[in-house]
Amino acid sequence: MSTIEVENLKYRYPDTTKLVLNDLNFSVEKGECLGIIGENTAGKSTLCYALAGLVPHFYKGAYGGKVTVNGLVVRDHEIATIVENIGLVFENPFSQMTGAKQTVYEEVAFGLENMGLVRQEMHTRIEKYLKLLAVYSVKDKNPFDLSGGQMQRVAIASVLAMEPEVLILDEPTSQLDPQGSQEVFEVIEELTKGGMTIILVEHKMDKIAQYADRVLLLHEGRQVDLDTPENIFSRGDLTDFGLTPPVVTTIAKALGIQYPGTKLYPVTIEEFKRLGEDK
Amino acid sequence: MGSMTLYVEKNSLIHHLDPLVKLLYVAASIALTYILPEPLFIAGVLFITFLLLVVGKVFRNSLPIVALSMVLIFSLVIVQGFFHPDNATELFAIGPVVFYEEGLTVALGLVLRVLVMVGAFSVLILTTRPDEMVERLIKKGMSPKIGHVILSVLQLIPQMRATMGKITDAQRSRGMETEGKLLVRIKAFFPLIGPVVLNSLNETKERSIALEMRGFDAPGKKTFLNEEKIYPYNKQFAGMLVIIILLAIVWRVIG
Repeated sequence: MSTIEVENLKYRYPDTTKLVLNDLNFSVEKGECLGIIGENTAGKSTLCYALAGLVPHFYKGAYGGKVTVNGLVVRDHEIATIVENIGLVFENPFSQMTGAKQTVYEEVAFGLENMGLVRQEMHTRIEKYLKLLAVYSVKDKNPFDLSGGQMQRVAIASVLAMEPEVLILDEPTSQLDPQGSQEVFEVIEELTKGGMTIILVEHKMDKIAQYADRVLLLHEGRQVDLDTPENIFSRGDLTDFGLTPPVVTTIAKALGIQYPGTKLYPVTIEEFKRLGEDK
Repeated sequence: MGSMTLYVEKNSLIHHLDPLVKLLYVAASIALTYILPEPLFIAGVLFITFLLLVVGKVFRNSLPIVALSMVLIFSLVIVQGFFHPDNATELFAIGPVVFYEEGLTVALGLVLRVLVMVGAFSVLILTTRPDEMVERLIKKGMSPKIGHVILSVLQLIPQMRATMGKITDAQRSRGMETEGKLLVRIKAFFPLIGPVVLNSLNETKERSIALEMRGFDAPGKKTFLNEEKIYPYNKQFAGMLVIIILLAIVWRVIG
């Protein structure tokens, strides 16, 4: 059974007439990194909310279809149960700090306290994830005194400490400066290498190409395509959906550098260099 | 971005007191001003409250909070001085406006009471970590949801101040004058209100999502990272406050 299964998912926000998610069908396997792309209003964030149970439990509205995470049907379980299986990190690092705690260490403990973990287990997990996210050195600082990149890494550590099966990252770097973005992408790289199941929503196509095993292309709530990054970014109609392929792919198209015997273009610098040298 | 609380980190006797005792002090000091409403007595409670602020090394930090209450204090003095129904003895006049002794006496009592409230809350807020206070209340059986509402209220002013700073910077970077004469500052203030309120509402919504995603509504029993803190002279202080309130009630009944 897949870690995530989405069947005929439809959703409309309260007091609106347009479907934000329109008949989505896909699944995500354990250890896979699924990139989600699409222009603004494509439904990317709403899909993340639907996977995490915020739709339909926090955001009401018209809901149809079925989302299953780790065997749990999202609609039939409270968010508190779902979050033990799936964690969500969203774009604004500032508003992800609960404000209920005075230090980074305690901030990471917040979710663990809610889960009712014993103290020793809390300390073990907090230290593990603060070190993994490279924010152990700021453990005694007030979360609001950190830089955006550090704050986002604390947010990721706080979610990871709850040890969910799946991590959703909804544009985690859109409000960060280049340094902060790089810090967060280094963490994503570590997590994908570690075999964590990740859903990554990102506007930086080169990063999607770098980390995603498959890419889901959304447009106005509809599922346009679900395929490998090479297949998605080699499409000739990407601009019709308000998207541009990674720079590497654009250059490869201009130079005619393709995978031999296919119409696919490279999407990462490594592949571009390899194919370029072969040519 | 600064800390999202009004708490001032200092090492003082007041900082080490149990938040519940300080909460009891807030209740006791306000109750005392109603049980024994003589201005001299209220002034005594106010003196003790200010003394606690000094001992807690936060007296200067409390001044902006007191300054905020000045709007209320001035309006109390003006309304009571002009319009109190018992007004009879003319005290002084500013042009056609006459202030009466009776109204100003009532206003004095009210002003002192407001200052006691503001001062007592300052003792609590400025010397107590909000998370520590809420944790103590939750451990005493209060619902975590109510605890978070209290926290949110305590965070409201610093949160709006932070948002206002960001928006002011954005407006200034687009050439809007935000500093200088009072009139310029007032003109710059009004365009701020909309974005500040909308931003704060949005951040509050996002923060509640963040709380949901950290299992805030989990049905099981919560645990706590920090061990139960032992506070010095906890029972003695609490007992003393209860005795003072009881004595005041007896005084009022006998007197």
